[in-house]
Amino acid sequence: MATDPWRRWAAFAALFNPAVDPVGPFRRPPGAFGPFFDAEQFASAARAFHQSGEDPQTAAAAFGDFLRDQFGGLLGGIWGGSGPCGEATAAEEAPALGPAREQQERLQRAAAAARRLAQAQRRLQRLWSDALGEAARAFVSRLDAPAAPPTPEAVHALYDAWIECAEAAYARMAHGEAFGAALADALKASTDWREESAASIEAWAKWLDWPTRSEINSLSLRLRALEEQQRERKREREPPVRAGAKKRTAAVKKRRGRGKR
Amino acid sequence: MSAGLYAALSAARHCAPGCSEKDEVWRSGKMRLYRYRSISPTSGAVPLLIVYALVNRPYMMDLEPDRSLIRGLLSHGLDVYLIDWGYPDGADRFTTLENYLEDLLAGCVEEILKARGLDALNLLGVCQGGVFSLCFAALHPERVRNLITMVTPVDFHTSADLLSKWARKIDVDAWVGQANVSGEVLNQLFLALMPFRLSQQKYVDLLRGAPDRARIENFMRVERWIYDSPDQAGAAFREFVVWFYQQNRLVRGGLVIGGRSVELRTLELPILNLMGTRDHLVPPAASAALRGLTRSSDFTTLELDLGHIGMYVSARAQRQVPPAIAEWLAAR
Repeated sequence: MATDPWRRWAAFAALFNPAVDPVGPFRRPPGAFGPFFDAEQFASAARAFHQSGEDPQTAAAAFGDFLRDQFGGLLGGIWGGSGPCGEATAAEEAPALGPAREQQERLQRAAAAARRLAQAQRRLQRLWSDALGEAARAFVSRLDAPAAPPTPEAVHALYDAWIECAEAAYARMAHGEAFGAALADALKASTDWREESAASIEAWAKWLDWPTRSEINSLSLRLRALEEQQRERKREREPPVRAGAKKRTAAVKKRRGRGKR
Repeated sequence: MSAGLYAALSAARHCAPGCSEKDEVWRSGKMRLYRYRSISPTSGAVPLLIVYALVNRPYMMDLEPDRSLIRGLLSHGLDVYLIDWGYPDGADRFTTLENYLEDLLAGCVEEILKARGLDALNLLGVCQGGVFSLCFAALHPERVRNLITMVTPVDFHTSADLLSKWARKIDVDAWVGQANVSGEVLNQLFLALMPFRLSQQKYVDLLRGAPDRARIENFMRVERWIYDSPDQAGAAFREFVVWFYQQNRLVRGGLVIGGRSVELRTLELPILNLMGTRDHLVPPAASAALRGLTRSSDFTTLELDLGHIGMYVSARAQRQVPPAIAEWLAAR
């Protein structure tokens, strides 16, 4: 088995996080590099499928379920998130009164943006889950009847087939209207949240007499205006096209005209 | 074996990209213009200025000795210049496309022409840099002798263009606001175009066969490049997304930069358009559209069975791309 690349792979994956046994199903240990761990888990699941002894349909369904679980969290960042996304809370809708009303409204708008972000992320996750389901079904339909033990080449081929099915299903979903709209909503909500949060911090900065982003932007724009004036004066002094260049351009045009085909 | 691979990856983690000697010949703000030192007798030809994209870093053009488009061009006797746009920071948030084109790119061109006593040079635009090169050539036809576009999007509304489909739905004004756009967020979007291949399979593929040291070092250099994503100057990013991705102005018209109309149909110069048939970022149809939009009577298309990144760093690209460019330029 020393020549089995998937065994080598398992040992290799363990090097990234030697303190943790990487065999636990559907669990990525902290510190493990995702693709290495996922691939090792895939190899284990492929072996389990081939050696399960169950009827082919049950074994294939179990393999498909594993894939949906294992790759459910592949997309992180803007696509992930698990914040509250239900109805607005009473605090979000409380009327803003008194000296702190501006600050309260900013916080309410930030909370609403965070909720919209979570809602958009849920939509993305549902679509992602649907795509994974479609990919798993397509993959399972390609599986031959279990036969023990699988060769390393067979496991490689299975892995490639899974990636192919997954990318195809994902592409169909990602090209669709619903995914694009959910992505746009997630970006917009995260931007709104950032803007409101920045405004709250800026209010504190003003109170403490610290420089703010608005001030820096204002100075930057003034500087740009001065630079533009300087460039304009330079352009007035130096016409952009030199006489020699004009002559050459005419010569080039004449030459190209002769060479037209 | 596994420990050996781990150790090899660990040893390669500091591999620096870049292999060809170069000299800084001009700078403006964070931008640097480099001229590469010749490695073979030069043909005394017109200089070739490489205009790279704002996203990611230009060292991909000169990654390592056997994976270097620039080295390939130098070996064919070309006189190569490269623009490094640098890493924009908060002070660059109001930098516009006009600034990039009319101040920085135009400044580089003028600097080279002044130093060489020439009136025009050759431009090689890569990806977004190809869009810049097209715009520059349309605005300053007297300054560009021959134009090469590589994996350059022209029609941003082709059916296979997933990035464009997403970009068209995004409220880019709200997204940018008055800030820069995070390179990390953009990277998430790029990786999400093919998440299983780009964030899973490529690592698993490392274990196939027995990767030698050169392959591991190449992998680590490419890995470094992929995640070395500069933030984007907010104003320029907004203009690029709205004008090109959303409004498709190179095809539909109406593109105005610095108060001057940019129309591809004014282009009459020789054009070589290189595209990858497996490009997931710039679908070949998006590049191929250029042919029907210019008045060039000397238009060459070169389709290669490569992906977006493979166009600069694959072994096949090293064999095919530099000679193709050098021969095409030599004939003009």
